[in-house]
Amino acid sequence: MRLRVLAVWLGGVCVLAQPDSVEATLKRAIELHQAGRLQDAIAGYEQYLSQRPSHFLALSNLGAALASLGRYEEAIRRYREALAAAPGHAGVRLNLALAYYKSAQFEPAVSELESLVAARAGDSRAVLLLADCYLRQGEYRKIIELLAPREADFSQDRAFAYLLGMAYVLDRRTELGQRFIERILGQRPSAEAELLLGSILRMGGDHPGARKHFARAVELNPALPSVHAFYGLALLETGDPEGAARQFRRELEKNPHDFDSNLNLGALLRQERKLEEARPLLEHALRVRPKSPAARYQLAALYADLGRLDEARGMLEALVADVPSFVEAHVTLARVYYRLKRKADGDRQQAIVRKLTAQKEGDTTEANRSEAPPR
Amino acid sequence: MRVPTLSRRAALRLMVLGASALVPRGRAVDPPLFEEVPPSASGIRWVHENAMSEERYLPETLGPGCAFLDFDNDGWMDIFFVNSGPCDFYQPKTPLKNALYRNNRDGTFTDVADQAGVARTTAFGMGVAVGDYDNDGYPDLFVTAYGRPTLYHNNGDGTFTDVTEKAGLAIGGWTTSAVWFDYDNDGLLDLFVCSFVEFSLKNNVFCGDNRLGRKYYCIPRVFKPTPSLLFHNNGDGTFTEVSRGTDVARALGKALGVVATDINNDGWMDLFVANDTVQNFLFVNRGQNRWEELGLAAEVAFSANGQARSGMGVDAADFDNDGWQDLFVANVDQEMFSLYRNNGDETFRDDAHVHGIAQATRLLSGWGLKFFDFDNDGLIDLFLANGHPDDMIEMYSTQVKYKEPLLLFRHEGERLRNISHQAGPVFEKMFPARGLAIGDYNNDGRIDVVVGNNGMAPLLLKNNAGRQNHWLGLRLQGTTCNRDAVGARITWSVGGVKRSRLKNNGGSYLSSHDPREVIGLGRATKLDWLEIRWPLPSRRVDRFTDLPLDRYVTIVEGKGIAS
Repeated sequence: MRLRVLAVWLGGVCVLAQPDSVEATLKRAIELHQAGRLQDAIAGYEQYLSQRPSHFLALSNLGAALASLGRYEEAIRRYREALAAAPGHAGVRLNLALAYYKSAQFEPAVSELESLVAARAGDSRAVLLLADCYLRQGEYRKIIELLAPREADFSQDRAFAYLLGMAYVLDRRTELGQRFIERILGQRPSAEAELLLGSILRMGGDHPGARKHFARAVELNPALPSVHAFYGLALLETGDPEGAARQFRRELEKNPHDFDSNLNLGALLRQERKLEEARPLLEHALRVRPKSPAARYQLAALYADLGRLDEARGMLEALVADVPSFVEAHVTLARVYYRLKRKADGDRQQAIVRKLTAQKEGDTTEANRSEAPPR
Repeated sequence: MRVPTLSRRAALRLMVLGASALVPRGRAVDPPLFEEVPPSASGIRWVHENAMSEERYLPETLGPGCAFLDFDNDGWMDIFFVNSGPCDFYQPKTPLKNALYRNNRDGTFTDVADQAGVARTTAFGMGVAVGDYDNDGYPDLFVTAYGRPTLYHNNGDGTFTDVTEKAGLAIGGWTTSAVWFDYDNDGLLDLFVCSFVEFSLKNNVFCGDNRLGRKYYCIPRVFKPTPSLLFHNNGDGTFTEVSRGTDVARALGKALGVVATDINNDGWMDLFVANDTVQNFLFVNRGQNRWEELGLAAEVAFSANGQARSGMGVDAADFDNDGWQDLFVANVDQEMFSLYRNNGDETFRDDAHVHGIAQATRLLSGWGLKFFDFDNDGLIDLFLANGHPDDMIEMYSTQVKYKEPLLLFRHEGERLRNISHQAGPVFEKMFPARGLAIGDYNNDGRIDVVVGNNGMAPLLLKNNAGRQNHWLGLRLQGTTCNRDAVGARITWSVGGVKRSRLKNNGGSYLSSHDPREVIGLGRATKLDWLEIRWPLPSRRVDRFTDLPLDRYVTIVEGKGIAS
């Protein structure tokens, strides 16, 4: 569904120029573009731009052609140049956001979309795309803040119900999420509803229950974005890492920017000491969510495994500065210091580990005077 | 496709002959590598009482330990089993007994615990460490417990005396594994005792499901850690706790397993301690009772993801024959076990995935375990006994079981390989295994295994492997060094290939092992030479050629082969 929401933006992006003898090169490029001869169109646009480097239409169409070929970085540059010529053009800004989104650069995508939504609050496509970006970034509260006030505008929209319902569930406000599940379920059996139900159970710690719903969601619609990722997470949590790895791989085949699949498959491969195979996955997970402590930790630990100790050290030092209670990061930073023969620094980290562990033990002991989970 | 049918006569013949009718003519059926010896054949009818209660007190799920020892010095391995017993949360209706099975030298055993004076349980027994602490030639017993442990001195006449008070070992708390080793190289075995958690009936915590009103065994995370204890042997039958002020006392853990080994080949025995839910400890012995806890720096303390795991069983051996002691630790399900290869610089690398151990143990919880050459081919193999600590685990896990299978890994030159499915029917069974001890109870040169099962009868496994291989059994007897020769380095050559073994002590979980070392020669019919480097304070190196094969010999420090 999320893909369907986004796909609309690749159609209808090239705009016909007025016929003009001076503009013959541009006209020909546009014809080639419309005929699907993208490489030739790109060459035409570039030729035209060599004469008229700030031409808005040529720049925006060139960006669209490049994006169609998956050359997002070049597309982004051209869209930016087009926006410099026409700063208020909402269509190009949306295309720019989409190029960022497609190349897993969610932060700049969000930045563009937020300014679009601020200027055009009723632009439903921008709203849903922004919500989708937030979902990928794990910013569930922002989804709720964005979508909840717009519920009346999207009362029949399944994508909206799915995004807002999922945000409530992942933000642990399952009762509010339930309402959207019912809305989706009310239409017909759907993968989206199964995914939401599974997510609710998973949040409640019922991993075997969640696994059943995710399996059903995969059966109903294997193309649903993130469905394999969620199923993989549930398999991982119920002790089936091989099954989980298979699901993460399936997710990445159709959705290469899925954060959970990149992170968890990378971590599993790292655990198996398939370090070079893990590296691009973990690097990509970090690109998708640059602030994620888990992604930062896994990549730093991988660099340590690979002997890239200075890179690992830098990342871990930054991580423990940002998240001082991250015990595993302190442990790994201590290891790195010891390997770098910085014993005093290693000992200092070890002392922090002991202190944090003692604090956690105390917390757990108190918490478990009433009830403790099984092993 | 037409399914072939049997004639009535052929069918009858198959029914009469059973599976043997299917074996090709002229080919004998090999016995399983390890064969379960039933109580009816062994005479071992003792059953562990785990005292499992509605309250699910944690000590109930941790025992029992077991040991192979030759308590009467007749040259045949006897077996000791530890039972639970009275404590603040449990008062048995009838007195519980430990068992001491004397080897009848015909494959059967007789329980002589009462006559020997080691039957009575005065605390909730856990494990046992065997060592000749007074160098009188008779192995003594240290029995750990929730409550007061017991030091039994072997009187040399088939009986033991409880000397705990006199020895200064009447400690309380909750002790688990223990190991005898000579940390200060003065020729006397000292004692390291693992201490688990702060636990008592009064301070017990509720772990369970309030809605169902059901209790289950707590994760030890909810109990406070404690320091383990090191006792110096004063040489007069008494011991002095010497851990205070050292890293041993500073390191608060939840110790379950310990092995004494020398990780840096400096001649001082070190200790690797497995802790449950907190980091493992590697106490490196710098001499003069200076201990450096290097677990984190050595990379054996935490998982690769920086997490403390539930360490239980441990062992050490130079499994890759590079001259450095490697380490092993078993954890609970989902954590996988670790095989730490020694890098030779006081650091280690976890190679469990390389050998398929991590994959094979993901759903298992490991306790008793041992590196040994089960088929006498000269390469060190690995035996693992498993079982989940929570008897209700199957209520909330679809994959993890309470009773779990044994695992056998054979060293095949480059790698260890899981051969459990080829090792015999017993590997298809499930057990709540805890302690595991190895020893050659029938003196055939093939090392057998005994497993203590929680709340069940123990398991005696006869080793039938490597029948075509030759071997030499060594009983080392120190004179200047400790009499058990713990810390001796044995080096030998077969067909020009040199191998060596350090006589570690401890390892596994709550258990103690046959003190003899069996050297496997494979098909070779000659041992080129063998050298014993006795531990300090001896500096002696004894070298032998023309040694006999396929028998045990006693080698006395400085005096050569005694028998």
